[in-house]
Parts: sequence; C-alpha cells; structure tokens
Amino acid sequence: MTEVLSAVFSVAFLTQVFRLMTPYYLGASGANFSERAGVINISIEGFMNLAAFSFAVFMIFTGSPATALALSLLSNLLFALLFASLTVSLKINQIVTGVGFNLLIAGLTKFLMVLLFSSSSNTPRIEGLPDIPFLKSVPLIGEVLSDTLTLFSILLVFVSGYLLFRTRFGLRLRSAGENPWAAETLGIKVRAYKYYGVLISSVLSALGGIWLVSEQHNYSDGMIAGRGYIALAAMIIGKWKPLNIFYACILFAGFEALEIALQISGADIPTQLIQMLPYLITIFVLVGFIGKTRPPAADGVPY
Amino acid sequence: MLSLAFTFALLVTLITVIGKDPFDVFLLIYSDVFASGYGAGQTLFKATPLIFISCGLAICFHASIFNIGAEGQLNAGSFVMALTAVSLEGLPFALQLLLSVLAGFLAAGLTGLIPALIKVKKGVSEVITTIMMNFVILALVNYLMVDFFAVKSTLRTVSIQESSLLTKASAVFPFFEGSSLNISFVLAILTALAVYVIIYKTTFGYKLRAVGFNETASKYLGINVNKVLLVSFFAGAGITALAGVNFIFGYKGYYELGFSNNIGFTAIAVSLLARNNPIGIIFSSLLFAALDYGGLAVNQVVPKEVMLLVQGLIIISILASDSLVKNFYRKKGAV
Repeated sequence: MTEVLSAVFSVAFLTQVFRLMTPYYLGASGANFSERAGVINISIEGFMNLAAFSFAVFMIFTGSPATALALSLLSNLLFALLFASLTVSLKINQIVTGVGFNLLIAGLTKFLMVLLFSSSSNTPRIEGLPDIPFLKSVPLIGEVLSDTLTLFSILLVFVSGYLLFRTRFGLRLRSAGENPWAAETLGIKVRAYKYYGVLISSVLSALGGIWLVSEQHNYSDGMIAGRGYIALAAMIIGKWKPLNIFYACILFAGFEALEIALQISGADIPTQLIQMLPYLITIFVLVGFIGKTRPPAADGVPY
Repeated sequence: MLSLAFTFALLVTLITVIGKDPFDVFLLIYSDVFASGYGAGQTLFKATPLIFISCGLAICFHASIFNIGAEGQLNAGSFVMALTAVSLEGLPFALQLLLSVLAGFLAAGLTGLIPALIKVKKGVSEVITTIMMNFVILALVNYLMVDFFAVKSTLRTVSIQESSLLTKASAVFPFFEGSSLNISFVLAILTALAVYVIIYKTTFGYKLRAVGFNETASKYLGINVNKVLLVSFFAGAGITALAGVNFIFGYKGYYELGFSNNIGFTAIAVSLLARNNPIGIIFSSLLFAALDYGGLAVNQVVPKEVMLLVQGLIIISILASDSLVKNFYRKKGAV
C-alpha cells in the first residue's frame, strides 16, 4: 500500500495523469462541439477507433507522420460528413445513427485489418507522431509539454473556450444547440453550424485515437476500450464547459493512472472497481447527487 | 428492402474490388448456410439470442425508450442465471430451469429499472445512463467473476450438470448433426409471438405504444405514463436475459465473460430493421445470424469480418432509405 501511495505522490505519476488525459480531453472536447450545436454524437468511440486504425495504416504505407495524419483526418471527415448528412439533413435519430456508426466502423476496421495485414488482432509496429524535442528539456513538466497532442489538448482548453464563448462562430454554434428556431429567424444557417459541430468533433476525436495508436506503436482490435464513452462522461460531468471538462478528464486520467500503479504494485485492490468509477460518477452527476448539470436545450432535437 | 438491395450492391462491388468473384462467395454462403444441416442449425442457433434480446428492446423502443443498455442487462441476467442454476442443482430440472430464468430475468430487469427510475424521477434521458450502466455492470460482473465465482484461471463459472442441459435439436432431427441448435430456439419464437401479442393485442400494449407516440397526450388520456415506462423498461430489459438460456442451458452449461460479444448492440439494429415488430424480428435475426455464420463459410475466400461490415452497412442504409422514402412521399404530398 505504501508503495502505491508513494507512487501516486510523485512527479512521474502526475506526468502520467496529464498524458493519459490527452485522448479523453480530445474526445470530450470534440463531443462538446457537436452537442453545443445540438447533435448528440455517441460515436466518438467509433471516430477514435477509425482514426487510430487509419493512422496506423497510412503510417505503414507512407511512412510519413504528416501524410498519415492528414489522410487519417480526411477519412474521419468523410465519415463525419456522412454522419452529419444522416442526422442533420435527413433528421435521422442521432442515437441510432451513433450506434450504427460504432458498429459499422468496428466492422470496417476488423475487415480491413484481416484484408491488409492477415491478422485479426494487431498491425505491424509503427512510429508514432513525433514529440517536440526542444520542450523536453523544460524541468519537471518537459515530458508533458513535449508530447505534441498533450500540449495541443492543454491549449485546446483555452482555444475551445475562446472559440465557443468569445467569437461570433461560437455564439452561432451554441444558438443552433440552444434554440435553432430562434437562430434561424435571425438569419443563422443552423444546419451549417450543426455540420461544423459534427466535423469538428470528428477531427478532435480522431486526434485522440491517433494519440493512443502513437503511444501503443501499433493498432490492435478494441484498443479504444471505451475511452470514447468516458469522453462523453467527462463532457457531461464538465457540464459542457471546456475548463470543467478538462478537470473531469484529469480526474478520469487519474483513475487510469491509479489503476496502472495498482497493477504494477500487485496490491490487493480490485482494479475493476476503479474502472467503474468514471461511469458511476457520471450517473450520480446526472441524477443530481453531485451538482446540477444541464445539456444544451435543443441537444438531440433534429432541426 | 431498398436498403438491403443497396447493401447487396455495395457488397458485390466490394468483393469485386478485392479481386474475388462475388458469385463464388454467394454460392459458398448458400451452400453452407442453407444446404447443409450443420450450417442451417448454426444459423438458427445464432439467431436465438438475437430474437430474445431484440424482442426485449422492441418493447422499450415502442415506448420510445432508447435502451442502449442491453449489453449490460443481458450480462447481469445471464450471470445471475448461471449462478442460480448451479446453486439449485439437485432440484427437478423444470423447477431449476424456471427459477434460474426467473432470477436472470429479475437481475436484468432491475438493471433496466435503475435508468428507468432516473428517467421517471429526475427526467434524465436513458441514453447516457444506459450506456454508463453497461460499463458499470460489465466491470462489476468482471470483478465478481475474477474474485469470487470464476473457475480458477478461466473466465467462466462452474458448469451445471450434463443432465441439466436442454435437448439439442440434433437429438430429434439428425439433419442438424453437430450444430449447437437447441430447444431454446423454440422458446425464442414463442417469446417473439408473446411479445407481439402484448404489444399489439393487449391494453397494456396499446398504452405502451400511446406513450411512445405522444407522452403528453397519453397523460391527458389518463394513462399512468410513469408506470408504463417503468414496467416496459423492466420487462424489456428482463427479456434480454433470456439470451443466457441459449448459452447456459442450451450450449455451454456455464456463464463466461465476453460471451455476449456486443450482441446487445447488434440487437438494436435487428429490432430496427424489423421496425420493432416481434414477428419481423424473427426474420431480421435470421438474416443477421446467416451473415454471422456465412462469414465463417466464406472465410477462405474473403475474410469473415466482411459480414461485420455488411451488418454495419445494413444499419446505416436502413436509416438512410427510411428517411429518403419518407421525404419523397412528403414532397409528393402523399403523407
């Protein structure tokens, strides 16, 4: 037990927490853009999965991280465009579409994996996205800052906050999620903003998947392991506000880091119970035991 | 139908693109799934849990309850069902079966009752709560299994006695030789018929559909909306546990972690494909089961995962074609 405690109160542990926060925050922030525009996107999991897979594939075939990144984001955008056409233009139920996309993407990646690599479990090894070398030498937090996507996530907290609450674009996007009927009468192209929301969510969650596959250095089936849903949970607990979502992601990343520390120490604490925590806390928050939470007023309502 | 044709066309293109003859592939599926007793048996066997779960979901969907939590509910139910079955060993078989099924039904139903209560009391949408419940239940069952109930160094519970297994179809019809098809398929058909009658031919079913169609109007008609929501959520979730009958009593004799393999999500598509009509669900379950087993049949020519892709495509194209057809008629002023 003492070993676990001393492991938890160390710089290495905190560094770990910040790094593990990355995919959660990218997914959650993505989901937030979509929901702020009034489209519930429960296929964050699928979008992360698709990007993780396509990044690995393009890495293997092109060998260039920049090309792989671009192509991977592009393929995610194409799927997001389909998602938005179904949910926004055709007004199909967003939850059902989300479930459908998760199943479709899971099937697609499994199929392509066998087709391309003759393996149902994992791809060959890849190099991940490169770090930012000169930031490595910063004392204590160099490890956190030099990870490109972790740094990006931390900046995103402020950028997304600014974008959503301080710009005309943000105001219009939010109006599409709060009261699309009123927004339309003011001449705002509500549907266009819903498209933007979905597209942004696919790009950000894609980066989350790319972080994971870069860390693991290959793609394996089922590697997202529910992180897309934890991201949704973080968005809810964070009450659809960028900074609060960030805190929620740090909390969940803390649980994950704790789980890893416990597994390494071999302490006799069941890790499954820690795995439950993010989901349980979310339910408690929704029920109103821990603070009040309110989604955008027209969230999930087809317009 | 339009969506199936679309998916079929896409599949043909896909197979051609990867350089195989689509005709060969379909011939393989045909000869394996329909022309062999083993294949047909396996297809029916795989359809069994889908029918149960989709029927449970259909009840929820008719009441406009978006139950995404079948995966958790059916695992909670099957886990409890297996434990009850083992602890009741020695009782007459019929009693053991009945009590185990009841226990499983209750466990799954209670799992569904939690999001139902949160919805009714707090007005929180069941979508997120059921998704979260899935993870909570799976982690909880995982914990209970690993720390208490699993046979050492496996992920399964103790088996029930050989004599407590349901009759295999091959025992009656030698045609199905070797397949795992068992009498729970008949139970699944009966369940579908019963759910059909409940939804379309009873007062409760009428109320259920009324609430699903327009909650506010139902309230003014004097329907106790909350009661209808709670009962249908409980019953719908409970029925998903019956999938465990096929696996535990009909096949393996024990509960195993991961046996459900996301079938709780596939069932959502199966139910939607049939427009939540239980009789239709029998057929859409058979289609998905044929795709599932057909994948194994074509594995040497095309990776069997192609069928997962097809299932996904079917879902998306149903959604799209439904809406396109509706829009088409709306523009013509017919609806």
